[in-house]
Amino acid sequence: MPVQPESPAEEVRHLRRCISDLVSLLALPATWTGGRPSQIVSNSLDALVSMLSLDFAYARLKDSSGGAFSQMVRVGSGWGTKPQPEDFGEKLQHWVEGDFQKLPSVATDFFGAPAITLVPLLLGLHGEIGIIVAGSQRLDFPRQTEKLVLSVAVNQAAIGLQESGLLSAQMLVTKELDQRVAERTAELAASNEELRKEIAERKSVEKKLRQEEAGLKRTEAYKAAILDSSLDCIVAMDHDGCITEFNPAAERTFGFQRNDVIGKHLGDVIVPTHLRERHRAGFVRHLATGESTVLGRRIEMTALCADGKEIPVELAITRIVEDGPPSFTGFLRDITERKRNEDALLVAHANLARSEERWRLVFENSAVGVVLADFNGRLLAANPVFQKMMGYTEDELKQFTFIDITVEDDRDFNRALIVELIQGKREQFQLEKRYWRKDGSLVWVRNSVSIVRGIERSPGFLLALSEDVTERRRAEEALNETRSELAHIARVTALSTLTASIAHEINQPLSGIVTNASTCLRMLDATPPNVEGARETARRTIRDGNRASEVTTRLRALFSKKTAAFELFDLNDSVKEVVALSVSELQRDRIVLQLELAADLPHVLGDRTQIQQVVLNLLRNGWDAMSLVEDRPRTLLIKTECEEGGGARLSVKDSGAGIDPEIEKKLFQAFQTTKTDGMGIGLSVSRSIVDRHQGRLWAVRNDGPGATFLFSIPPGTNT
Amino acid sequence: MTDGQGKNSIQEPLVVVVVDDDESVRESLPDLLKEFGFTVLAFSSADEFLASKSIDRTTCLVLDIVMPGMSGLDLQAELRNRGRKIPIIFITAQKDESVRKRVLAQGAVDVLLKPFSDTALRKALSKAMGED
Repeated sequence: MPVQPESPAEEVRHLRRCISDLVSLLALPATWTGGRPSQIVSNSLDALVSMLSLDFAYARLKDSSGGAFSQMVRVGSGWGTKPQPEDFGEKLQHWVEGDFQKLPSVATDFFGAPAITLVPLLLGLHGEIGIIVAGSQRLDFPRQTEKLVLSVAVNQAAIGLQESGLLSAQMLVTKELDQRVAERTAELAASNEELRKEIAERKSVEKKLRQEEAGLKRTEAYKAAILDSSLDCIVAMDHDGCITEFNPAAERTFGFQRNDVIGKHLGDVIVPTHLRERHRAGFVRHLATGESTVLGRRIEMTALCADGKEIPVELAITRIVEDGPPSFTGFLRDITERKRNEDALLVAHANLARSEERWRLVFENSAVGVVLADFNGRLLAANPVFQKMMGYTEDELKQFTFIDITVEDDRDFNRALIVELIQGKREQFQLEKRYWRKDGSLVWVRNSVSIVRGIERSPGFLLALSEDVTERRRAEEALNETRSELAHIARVTALSTLTASIAHEINQPLSGIVTNASTCLRMLDATPPNVEGARETARRTIRDGNRASEVTTRLRALFSKKTAAFELFDLNDSVKEVVALSVSELQRDRIVLQLELAADLPHVLGDRTQIQQVVLNLLRNGWDAMSLVEDRPRTLLIKTECEEGGGARLSVKDSGAGIDPEIEKKLFQAFQTTKTDGMGIGLSVSRSIVDRHQGRLWAVRNDGPGATFLFSIPPGTNT
Repeated sequence: MTDGQGKNSIQEPLVVVVVDDDESVRESLPDLLKEFGFTVLAFSSADEFLASKSIDRTTCLVLDIVMPGMSGLDLQAELRNRGRKIPIIFITAQKDESVRKRVLAQGAVDVLLKPFSDTALRKALSKAMGED
């Protein structure tokens, strides 16, 4: 904008004012000594605004470190709002940061002012301290004098700021120095302390080293003693697998000399040839990976001796942990003897186990019941068949004695047999008896009982093989019933036949007698009586009476002289047949029948059926004689023997009541009986049969209870 | 003498035949029958009787059951085969109910068990003669 030329008076006033301002400005730095930069800038800006009647004066100072800056603004009295340095800084961005020589010196719309002239002034030669911008709306701003004042003021401020900067720099250096000295002092103190510690530590280490040295010496001595006196072989090797130690026990066991093997590869000394490759591979693997299948546990293997023999050894290997490469110590023991014992024991055990297994299988798979009981009858074991037979489990059975499960009627007899077994009077016995099953039903069993005597620590027991014969018993009972019915029928039939034949023989003459007598009476009753005819009929009546008498005589003769079917036969076979017919009935009455049949018995001549009747008769007598015996076993012994001078003898021995002395002499007479249900003809008939065979029948008393009946018949040499 | 005997005797003599192997019966029974008023013939066996000419004259047969050779039962059968309807009174010493039933079923008049009474015989004869 064009500048209005000044009047000379006004020009003089302006010059005077300028000189006065310059003097004031030159006095300013004296007040700034030791002052802070903000104070210098503040004073300078205040002075410029007031001297040059500026609208504002703005200053921006660069920080000494060059990063951030501080800014400040002062405004003239006409400025409305309270000035904010940041707002001015933003507005003046272009002038303070750009190449302000090229910028327009007039800013429009500057905080409400339509146009304002801006004069930027550098602080420092190249603005290195900062910049000051002066602004005024006056059209003549800046006049020559004002420019002078502005530049002087800025120079003064720059000098003041430079001096203030130097001062603070000096102070900074001093402070820094002090800090460095303090730091160094602390460092020295610390290193001093460290040194003291180090010295103490070194002393303690030295002491420890000395102790360790002493300890090491002791350990060496111990080690030597252990190595020398150890019963175990101790072999040590280094990480190359070379032997470093081989103690006396090892020398004794393997037969190598210590001096010969030290330094040699272990794998080439006591490892058997066939294991060497494995040994080497395992060792290499261990060194490479640290893995091992042998370290830290007890193993068994074979070792090679100097004489080439291989022996089983027990081995434990320890790895010695050291700073350097590892070394190993092996402890070995010759276990040849132990192995042998173990093997023998194993074989013995295996044999025993096999044997036991076999017997267990026999026990469990037996087709018959197998029961073990102690001598008190307590059941110890029962196999599955017996369990099934009884309906009890084995554990349940173990609660019982065999008596508990036996039917009451069968107990005494069974008990007596067991007692005889235990007393050694018999080796074994067979018995058919009834058991109570768990469900309350009965089972017939055939028991074969034997005794196993205890040996040493193994107690004895009773062994019973038990067979379920219920079905057979039922069949037999049914059969027996049928048989006895048949026998009865046969007897009745035979009797009636006999009766009929006797009746026929007797009735014929009787008929004659009755008829004759009737005729006789009629003749006498007639008129006149036919006396002659009556006499004749009476004569015939007498004759027929005689005939009837003859008939009875003839009948007796017929029976006594009946021609029996004589033949040669085996008495033993006959006895067996009789026994076979009676055995179930004997068992029912709990009679133990024993047979002692002579093997060399000669055949005898006679009526086999009649002799069997005699045997049956004697058997029956003995059997009946024991019917009331309860306090001892009912035993019946049938025995056949060779008679001196040929012939056979049979005896039936019972344990019954014996022979009553009162009837002893009449024993073989008919109608003599001690039985309530007998006719008393058995022995008399038997005797007559034996007599007919030219034999002899007699009886003797036993030493013990009971009696023995015997008969003998001559040998069948001729008819 | 009975009425029956008299009546019969007027017409034709009533012949009673006894067949028994036992001699005492052959001796005693005819005497009793004669006392009853009958004409009596006695034979010791069935064959002997069949061989005789008396068969046509026989009005009643007193026959033993058990005999050697042909038995009483055989004779009964034989007579029936020949168409002879002679009343038969069986006499036997053996009581056998089955035989008794059999012969009665075959038309026998009665079976008398030895020894029998004269009244029992008389009763059987009356029955045989058709007098009941």
